[in-house]
Amino acid sequence: MKKRKKLIPWLQSMPAMILIAIIIVFPVLYTGYISLTNMNLYHWFDFKVIGLSNYARALTKVDSGFLSALLTTILWTVFNMVIQVSAAFFIALGLNTEGLKIGRIYKTLLMFPWAMPSYISILLWRVGIFNTEFGLVNKVLVSMGLEKVNFLSRNVPAFLSCMVLNLWMALPFMIMTIDGALQSIDKSSYESAQMEGAGFWAKHFHITVPALRVVIMPAVIMTTFTTFKQFDIIYLLTMQKGALSGASLQTIITYAHQNAFVSNNYGLSSAVSIIIFGIIILFSLWTNRSIKED
Amino acid sequence: MKKIKKTIQLTFLHVFYIILCFVGMIPVLYAFGLSLSGSGGALSSDLSLFPDKPSFENYYRIIVEEPFLLWFKNSIILSVGTMIAAISFGTLAAYAFSRYRFKGRRTVLNMLLLLNAFPQILSMFALFRLFKNMGLLNSRPGLILIYAGSMCIFSIWNLKGYFDTIPIEIEEASKIDGASDFKMLWKIIMPLAMPAVIVTSVMVLIFVWNEYLFATTFMLSENSYTLAGGLYQLQADDYSRSWPLFSAAAIMVSLPILVIFFCIQKYMVSGLTAGGVKG
Amino acid sequence: MKRILSMIVCGCLAAGMLTGCGSRNNVADTAQEAGGAEEENTVEAVENTEVPGEETEPVEVKIWHDGDEAIMGKIEATVNEALKDQQISISFEKKSGLTDQLQLYGNDAANGPDLYFYAHDTLGTFVEMGIAAPISDVAGEDVFSGLLPMTVEAGTYKDVQYFMPVYFETLLFMYNKALWEGEVPETTEELYAYMEAHTDTGAGTYAVVNQHSTAYNVAPFINGFGGAVIDKNGQPGLNLAQTIEAVEYNKKFAALQADGDYNTVTTLFNEGKAAAIIGGPWLVSGIKEAGIDLGIKSLSDFKLPNGNGLAPFSGVQGVGVLKHAVDEKKDAIAQVLKVMAGREVGEALALGSNCAPANMEAYANPEVEANEMIIAIKETAETAQPMPNIPEMSVMWGPAEGLLAAVNKSGEDVKTAAERCQQDALTAIADMQ
Repeated sequence: MKKRKKLIPWLQSMPAMILIAIIIVFPVLYTGYISLTNMNLYHWFDFKVIGLSNYARALTKVDSGFLSALLTTILWTVFNMVIQVSAAFFIALGLNTEGLKIGRIYKTLLMFPWAMPSYISILLWRVGIFNTEFGLVNKVLVSMGLEKVNFLSRNVPAFLSCMVLNLWMALPFMIMTIDGALQSIDKSSYESAQMEGAGFWAKHFHITVPALRVVIMPAVIMTTFTTFKQFDIIYLLTMQKGALSGASLQTIITYAHQNAFVSNNYGLSSAVSIIIFGIIILFSLWTNRSIKED
Repeated sequence: MKKIKKTIQLTFLHVFYIILCFVGMIPVLYAFGLSLSGSGGALSSDLSLFPDKPSFENYYRIIVEEPFLLWFKNSIILSVGTMIAAISFGTLAAYAFSRYRFKGRRTVLNMLLLLNAFPQILSMFALFRLFKNMGLLNSRPGLILIYAGSMCIFSIWNLKGYFDTIPIEIEEASKIDGASDFKMLWKIIMPLAMPAVIVTSVMVLIFVWNEYLFATTFMLSENSYTLAGGLYQLQADDYSRSWPLFSAAAIMVSLPILVIFFCIQKYMVSGLTAGGVKG
Repeated sequence: MKRILSMIVCGCLAAGMLTGCGSRNNVADTAQEAGGAEEENTVEAVENTEVPGEETEPVEVKIWHDGDEAIMGKIEATVNEALKDQQISISFEKKSGLTDQLQLYGNDAANGPDLYFYAHDTLGTFVEMGIAAPISDVAGEDVFSGLLPMTVEAGTYKDVQYFMPVYFETLLFMYNKALWEGEVPETTEELYAYMEAHTDTGAGTYAVVNQHSTAYNVAPFINGFGGAVIDKNGQPGLNLAQTIEAVEYNKKFAALQADGDYNTVTTLFNEGKAAAIIGGPWLVSGIKEAGIDLGIKSLSDFKLPNGNGLAPFSGVQGVGVLKHAVDEKKDAIAQVLKVMAGREVGEALALGSNCAPANMEAYANPEVEANEMIIAIKETAETAQPMPNIPEMSVMWGPAEGLLAAVNKSGEDVKTAAERCQQDALTAIADMQ
C-alpha cells in the first residue's frame, strides 16, 4: 500500500516526463554523440566516431574573445533581469490599483509587443526605429536640429539599443506573470497592515514582495535562462549577414555561432554546444547558491 | 479629502499608463502606418506616422493573395493542440511535484530547470533525425509534440509555484469528503490556480503562434505553414520583402492574440482571493 | 482502498490524456492527409484533361528555391507549357535559408526536392556534402552548347559540371535621369568628385549610394585593384596589399553613402533622395513602381586610378540536381534541364524580369537586344569574375563583411582590421575540416 503511494507522483508526472525525454533530453544526448564524431561538410553522411578531439579543438575557442563574450552575457543578463522584474513589478502593481476601471485595456495594449513574432519586431526596430536615415529616433533628432546617431555601430550604444528592444519584447510576459501572482495574495493581510498604519513602501515591502517571490521565482528563473541564451536580438540587430552594423558585441551564444556554426562542422559545433551547456549549468548552480545564501 | 486624494492618484495613474502604452505602441503604430501606405509605398524618411492616403490594400492582398486563412487555421490547430497537451501534462506533473514529497523530487525539478538551459536551436538537427525515422516530418502531431515538449518544463515549474501557495487544508477537507486526486485537481485546485493556468496557457499559445523555425523546417508545403512560418518564408530576406505588406502581416498576426488576451482577463482572478474559500 | 482507487483513476487519466491526445492528433492527421490528397487529385485532374488516354505516367519535378517568386513563376509557366505533351511538370517551392534546408533534406527522397534553384556560389558546399549529382548523370554535354561559356564555367566544380545555368546577374551603376546632372563620369575619381559636390548627409540627400559594407558590393573595387576575397585554392585574401588598398579606397566613398544597409540605400534611391545606386536587376521592379526614369551604366566602364575598370562578381542563377532524384526521374529531369537551358525560358526571363539569360540565342531577339539593362549586364559579365564556388566561400562572407564594417562603420584601422579578419577567415576555414 505504502509502496503504491510512492508510485502515484511518478505516474502522474509520467506523460510530461516522457515528452521531455523525447524533445529535450534526446537532443542533448544526440548532440553529445555528434560531438564525438567527425561529422562535417566532407563527411556529411559517412561520419564516424573519432573520440574527444573535437573537445580539444573546442577548448581552444575558450580564449580571450570567449571570456569577454561571457562577461558581456553576464552583464546583459543582470541588467535586463533587474530592470525587467522591477519595472514589471511597479507596472503590475499600479494596474491592480482599486478603482482603475479600464486597466484591462492598458493590460491588453501592453501585451502587444509580446504578440508579435520576434523576427518581425526586431526587423521593425532595426529599420523603423534605429536606422540612421528613416528610423523614428533619428527623424526626431533631426527635426530637433540634432545630429543623426548611428546607434548600432559602436558597442555601448548597440548594447543599450539591444537592451531597450529586449525589455520591450520581454516586459509583457513579466507584467502578466506578476499580475497573475498578485491575485494570489490575500487582501486581508493588507487590511491589517493598513490598520497598523503601514505606508505604501512598508506595506509592499513586507507583504507583497515576500508573497510574490515564491510564486514568480520559476518564471524569473526561466526568463533569466532565456535572456542568457538570447540570440535573435543581438544577431538580427547587429550582425546579420549583409547588414553588419559595425558593433562587435558578442554574447557566448553569438560567439559560438560565429566561431563554430558558420563552418558547417557539426562535430565541432556540437562540442562547443556541450561546453556552453556545461558553463550554463555551472553558472546556474552558482546563482542558485547565492540566492539561497540571501 | 480621502476621496480627492484617491481621484488625484487615479488620474496620475491614468496619465502614466496612457504614456506607457503610447511609448510601448510606437513601433506598432509605425508598422500600422506603413501597412496603410498602399502597394507602392515604402519606407520613408519623412517624419510622419501615417501616410497621406491610407488604404487597406495590403490587408486585402494578404488575405486574398496569400493562403492567409489556411495559415491561420494551421496556427490555431497547432497552438490549441500544444496548449492542451502542455497544460494537461504540465498540470498533472506540477501537482505531483507540489503535493507529494518523494525521493528524487528536488533532483528532478532542478534537472528540469537545467535542461531548459540547453539552447533549443541546437536541438533542431537531433529532432530532425529522430522524426525522420519515426515518420513524423511534415505532420502536425509531430510539431505539436515538439512544441509541447519545449513548453512542458516551463508549464510544470510555473504551475507548481502557484500550487505551492494553495493551502493544503482545502484539499484535506475534500479528501474527507472522499474526492479522488483527479477530481480534486480538476474541481478545486484548477479554479484556485486560474491566474497561473492562464498565464501559462497564454505563454504556450504565444510561443507556438510566433514560432517560425521549426514550423518552416518540419513542415514542407506552403499550405501547411503557420502564420508566423508562412510570413517568414515570404518576407525573410531583404530582397523579397515588401515593407507595407510585411507590416500589415505583422499586425494581422498579432491581433488574434490580443483579442484572446483581452477576453480571458476577467478570468484572471484566483478563486482563493476572490473570497470563495479561505485557508 | 481509496488510495488504490485514486491510483487507478490517475492511471486512467494519464492514459486518457495520451489517447485523447492521440485521437486529436489523428483528426489533425486525417485532415492533413485529406488536404494532401485533394491537392494531388487536382494536379492529376489537370494533367488528365491535358492528355487524355496517354500511357506515360505524369511526372512532377519538385524544385526548391530562395529567390524571386515572379521569376520562378515565369520559368515554371514556360517549362510546363513546353513539356505539357510529355506529362512532365515542375513546381517551385520557396524555402528561406535554402542551404540549411538542403543540409537536412538534400538526400531525403520522400520529403526533399528533386532539383534546387540557387546562385552558383554554394555549389561546392552541396557537392562536398554529397547531395549534388553531376549534370552528365541525367543529360548529355549538348545541353550546355547554347550557353554563355562564363556561366558554364561558374557551374563547374573540380572539373565536373554540377550546375545548369539559367540566368546571371552583375552589379550595375543605376541612376535617376531626372536627378543626375550632366554626364555620368568615366572614372571613379570623377565620380568621387561628383559625390563630394552633391551629397548632403545632414539633409539626407546623396549622390551615389551603395551597400558599402557588404563584400558582394565592394567586390568591384577589390577585384579591380587586383585583390581577392578568396582565391581559387581557397586561400583568403583579405590582408593582401591590393585588398587593403581597395578597402581603403572604398572607405572614402562609404563616408558619403549613408549607412549602407540594403533597406536604407534602396529606399533613398526610390524616394529620389539618392541620384544613383550600385545595385542589380532585382531592384528594377521597386524602381519602376516609384516611377523613376532609370539610366544604366556598366561598372566596368568606370576606370579606377590604376587604369582597370571596376570588376564586380557575376552571380549565375541556375539549377542543380540532387542525387536521389537521378534514379527516380532521370528522363523527366533531362527534359526539364533542356527546356531551362533553351531560348524560350531565356527570352521569357529577359522580357519579363530583366534577367540576362545564359542562353546565347535569346540575345538574337530584337527586344532583348534593345534592353539596356541586359546588354549592360552582359557587357559587364565579359570582364566580371564569377563568384568563387568553392565551399570555403561560404565562410568568407562573414569575415569579409566584418572587415568592411569595422573600417567603414567603426573607424578601425584598415591594416589591423584586415589582419584580424584574415585570421578569422583562416580559423573558419580550418574549422570546416
